[in-house]
Amino acid sequence: MKKNTVVLLVYAFLLFSCSSSSTQETQIGSGTPGPNANPDPNETENTSTEWTIPVNEVLDGGPGRDGIPALENPTMVTAVNASLLSDTDLVLGYKKGNDIRAYQHNVLDWHEIVNDNIDDVSLAITYCPLTGTGMGWNRFVDGIETTFGVSGLLYQTNLIPFDRATKSNWSQILGESVNGSLAGKDIDLITLVETDWKTWKAMFPSTTVIGLDTGFSRTYGTYPYSDYITNNSLFFFPTPKDSRLPAKDRVHAIIIGGFAKAYQFSDFETSNVIKDVFRDRNYLLVGNANFMASFELDAAQDMLDFEYIFDGTSDAVLQDNQGTQYNIFGEAISGSGQLKPSESFMGYWFSIPAFYTTEVFGE
Amino acid sequence: MRIFVFISIFYFGQQTYSQTCCSGGVPLSNNLGLPNEGKGSFSIGLNYDYNNLNTLNAGTEKLNDDSRLRITNSVLLSLGYAFTDRISVETLFTWVNQKRTISQFGSENLTDTKGIGDAVLLLKYAIPDILGTSSVVNLGLGTKAPLGKSDLTSSEGFQLIADLQPGSGAWDALGWLSVSKGLSFRPSATVSGSLTYRLTGENTSYLNNTSTYEFGNVVQANVGYTDQFLLFNTIFNPGLILKYRKASYDKINGSRLPNTGGEWVFVRPELSVLLTPNIAISSRLEVPVYSYVDGTQLTPTLRFTAGISFTLKKKELIILN
Repeated sequence: MKKNTVVLLVYAFLLFSCSSSSTQETQIGSGTPGPNANPDPNETENTSTEWTIPVNEVLDGGPGRDGIPALENPTMVTAVNASLLSDTDLVLGYKKGNDIRAYQHNVLDWHEIVNDNIDDVSLAITYCPLTGTGMGWNRFVDGIETTFGVSGLLYQTNLIPFDRATKSNWSQILGESVNGSLAGKDIDLITLVETDWKTWKAMFPSTTVIGLDTGFSRTYGTYPYSDYITNNSLFFFPTPKDSRLPAKDRVHAIIIGGFAKAYQFSDFETSNVIKDVFRDRNYLLVGNANFMASFELDAAQDMLDFEYIFDGTSDAVLQDNQGTQYNIFGEAISGSGQLKPSESFMGYWFSIPAFYTTEVFGE
Repeated sequence: MRIFVFISIFYFGQQTYSQTCCSGGVPLSNNLGLPNEGKGSFSIGLNYDYNNLNTLNAGTEKLNDDSRLRITNSVLLSLGYAFTDRISVETLFTWVNQKRTISQFGSENLTDTKGIGDAVLLLKYAIPDILGTSSVVNLGLGTKAPLGKSDLTSSEGFQLIADLQPGSGAWDALGWLSVSKGLSFRPSATVSGSLTYRLTGENTSYLNNTSTYEFGNVVQANVGYTDQFLLFNTIFNPGLILKYRKASYDKINGSRLPNTGGEWVFVRPELSVLLTPNIAISSRLEVPVYSYVDGTQLTPTLRFTAGISFTLKKKELIILN
């Protein structure tokens, strides 16, 4: 009896020790690609176990790879035909010449990545609902066009996209590959503007916006994460907190190397135009209660005076003392010249110091 | 009478005891409710449970998306012993294999975990004939012990979320009540009901000791009808059960976790066969007829369970010894 008990206990211990997990990827299907076919059919597998970020801080978010499906060249509709969008809904805006597009949070909350082609631009809109960060990525990496998908992994509660060409994993906020054959590569940012639908439409009435006929069945218009946006104490995954500002305050962050400077909407209550210096570079910021944008000034531009001229009826946002007017992308809309958009993005406050040594404007 | 009690408890003690937000967990209670066959009797049950979740719901609306598949394969071993004709104890040990498959963009991504799951200890008290002849009321109180691992990492090394873990990492309290009564106008038939409540504990070492996680409390009720017939000199017991299950939302760090919790109604046809007076095999199929989930979640599509149970009476134990 005693012997049997020992054998049973040993067997149970072995079973317990055998608790394990595995992950594998296989290709399925063949023939004519369907609407949700892999846009990168020649993709390779990423077998690298080396990460440039602490792997024990990389977490499985739950849905699994492609469990949140990225969109590929979604159908765009005119502003008039946009469904479910209210004036206060946030959009990420992109402009190339007269092709102006809005990618609404209502859809991005469910897909997180949109791979789009606008003329010769290969753009990936990457949006993390948990950090509120929306960034435009150039989909040409090392001269090869790729598309991005949602890996289902999170680092500091932030989206980890993967590129389908090499299956390398990327950190959205760091803007670099953190695992795979492309580890260490930086992504080229493409300027986006985040604002509410009413402001965007006022600036660019000819804009198009993602249609809801995405090929996926989702409850667009219903926010999937309860009161996460407004609840400063609600986090689904661990991440460092910085008490200088409320965790979920939306801030505009300018990034230089491993450093960031954060600007709040309240900074623009007394003046809609701010000139600032960060890491020895000169910046011009423009904002109101609904948008913030920043530009890196060269020496000549830094000598100019800028005036806020946005009146909600056109895309003119700034005017310099030489009479040149600029839109929110820094393009001259009267006169000549171009303001260089800074490397920056919008996001929840907590996510900026989680990745960068951060100072707060006006501190 | 013993056959009646056996059938009643075997059928209506079948409580789904899911430990995941999407009902994909181990059905610990599926094997709870072994019969009290009298003082000194020893019962063993071995069940296999297959749980398929391939339906994506938003509230009660079924979304046209079958790209996500969760399958839980469980093996459940239950051991029961009756101290008296009324007081008995039951333990349940599990082994679980969880599979998460995403079929999207021409690829299939599978995440697979397996290992020993949590275990249940249940003390039971039987009150026969309290509702008239051929009736039995069972009361049970128990606990679920976190034997299973709750900190498995993927093969790549990153931490997996709670509902992919074999164990919950928390002690739970379990209350169980079942009632059954034979019909006087049809002695072979039984109507039964049962109620289970799970009060969940908190896993305080979730995600590398950085967070706490608590699965939602679960209440579950079954009502059903079983009958029996003789075929090939063997007793067959078909049954039809209606099951209601309500799971509260999960909590992370004390805050409500969206897209967890819901309410379900299932229909469960069952069939048990008494191979000998001491050995029975059973099978059951569980199909949802109503599903409401908080937010958007995978919800059960199909569940199948098959098992065998043995009862060793005191007299037989003496012979064996």
